[in-house]
Amino acid sequence: MSDIVEKTLTALPGLFLQTPGAGGPAAARAPFSSRLGGLIRGITALTSKHEEEKLIQQELSNLKAAVSAPTTTLKMMKECMVRLIYCEMLGYDASFGYIHAIKLAQQGNLLEKRVGYLAVSLFLHESHELLLLLVNTVVKDLQSTNLVEVCMALTIVSQIFPQEMIPAVLPLIEDKLQHSKEIIRRKAVLALYKFHLIAPNQVQHIHVKFRKALCDRDVGVMAASLHIYHRMIKENSSGYKDLTGSFVTILKQVVGGKLPVDFNYHSVPAPWLQIQLLRILRLLGKDDQRTSELMYDVLDESLRRAELNHNVTYAILFECVHTVYSIYPKSELLEKAAKCIGKFVLSPKINLKYLGSHSGSSTPDDNN
Amino acid sequence: MIQAILVFNNHGKPRLVRFYQRFPEEIQQQIVRETFHLVLKRDDNICNFLEGGSLIGGSDYKLIYRHYATLYFVFCVDSSESELGILDLIQVFVETLDKCFENVCELDLIFHMDKGGLSAAPARAVSAVKNINLPEMPRNINIGDLSIKVPNLSQFV
Repeated sequence: MSDIVEKTLTALPGLFLQTPGAGGPAAARAPFSSRLGGLIRGITALTSKHEEEKLIQQELSNLKAAVSAPTTTLKMMKECMVRLIYCEMLGYDASFGYIHAIKLAQQGNLLEKRVGYLAVSLFLHESHELLLLLVNTVVKDLQSTNLVEVCMALTIVSQIFPQEMIPAVLPLIEDKLQHSKEIIRRKAVLALYKFHLIAPNQVQHIHVKFRKALCDRDVGVMAASLHIYHRMIKENSSGYKDLTGSFVTILKQVVGGKLPVDFNYHSVPAPWLQIQLLRILRLLGKDDQRTSELMYDVLDESLRRAELNHNVTYAILFECVHTVYSIYPKSELLEKAAKCIGKFVLSPKINLKYLGSHSGSSTPDDNN
Repeated sequence: MIQAILVFNNHGKPRLVRFYQRFPEEIQQQIVRETFHLVLKRDDNICNFLEGGSLIGGSDYKLIYRHYATLYFVFCVDSSESELGILDLIQVFVETLDKCFENVCELDLIFHMDKGGLSAAPARAVSAVKNINLPEMPRNINIGDLSIKVPNLSQFV
């Protein structure tokens, strides 16, 4: 089954690239598709802000006519949308185009839908009244058999979604948590993270599913669940102390190089993941001796392993040191951490000096 | 949490503007201008971290920037982010763009805003980096989150 999906996906780019190649449509399309280029060249040729304003207003009135004309095809609409995004980025109002962006996301084929969703995520905000019109499209796409559409819908949910409509899509997204494709599981976790951010009481009942995501065999899904855990532990660390063992195990595996080699960044294994885990451990171990004792080994190991002189290893070292300072103190670790900060402050790299001296102010006293 | 991603050139013209929190349009433009002025004054051998301007959100927010040729890449983050981690994130972002468009330059950002899904690329790079599959980055971090086996579908996601 997955071979068929792969074959189909491999064939897709070829199919889509063929259409511009066709003779007649291409000739008509070419001047249209270079209109963004023309607009930009026009702007860069101008010298004053006043002229730029005039040109953009002219462009915007052309676009207004184009988007409301009944003869505009979806393809042309896509092109108009890109120019609208550009104008909005420069600071000019293009609110007449918002409804058309939603329409594009609703009715377009894959490419057009993608531009439609992109435009919606850039133009609208969470309390915008037009956003409600998008909900139906999102629900439809979440139930689609086309994986790319599901991905796009999940992405837009995690970027911008009205709070009152969460109950409408929540069961669909919970369903996706068990999908066979890891990218969909990962996006579903991220969408739920977004829900947790805007309406935590609505996702209370699915904490059990987050635990499953934490133990997921795919590293991406597991890493996505860490965002949620970081937030929840920040709010209430005592509820999650039982997970300390799992986080320590995961960090041990990352530091020990057990992840697939894809996760190496300049031969450092998954640095951002390490940083995230260290932050979570910091929250869990604060003022708690028993929990902190579970972490000493892995912190020691991280300090030892981060020997390479790359920017990102400094980031990991910095996090390690902070964690060592925040949890229940252990003297050998504190000594190593202090040496590390010393090296930072003495380093010729200005960023490290700044961070080193900044963190010096948060060193704990020796009294406890 | 990342509050905003701004990319502008040496004259302050915005090339990519992505806010992850709601600001009205005039405030957005003001933020871009203010950030540009703050960042322009910085010497090349000074620290890459700045206190955020008053508009962005106050003392909890920092601006972390990198200057590549004609472009400034500025990330506005709060205290829950690791500064050095963000510096490397910017590096990952730029490397991604470089793989998307061979030898990327400012013109690529301008003319191919939608083709590379550029406005979404920061979100991709961010989420991809936080859940990373790095060496495959060249092939799929243009989209960043399709799994390794899937071929390059940069136009679709």
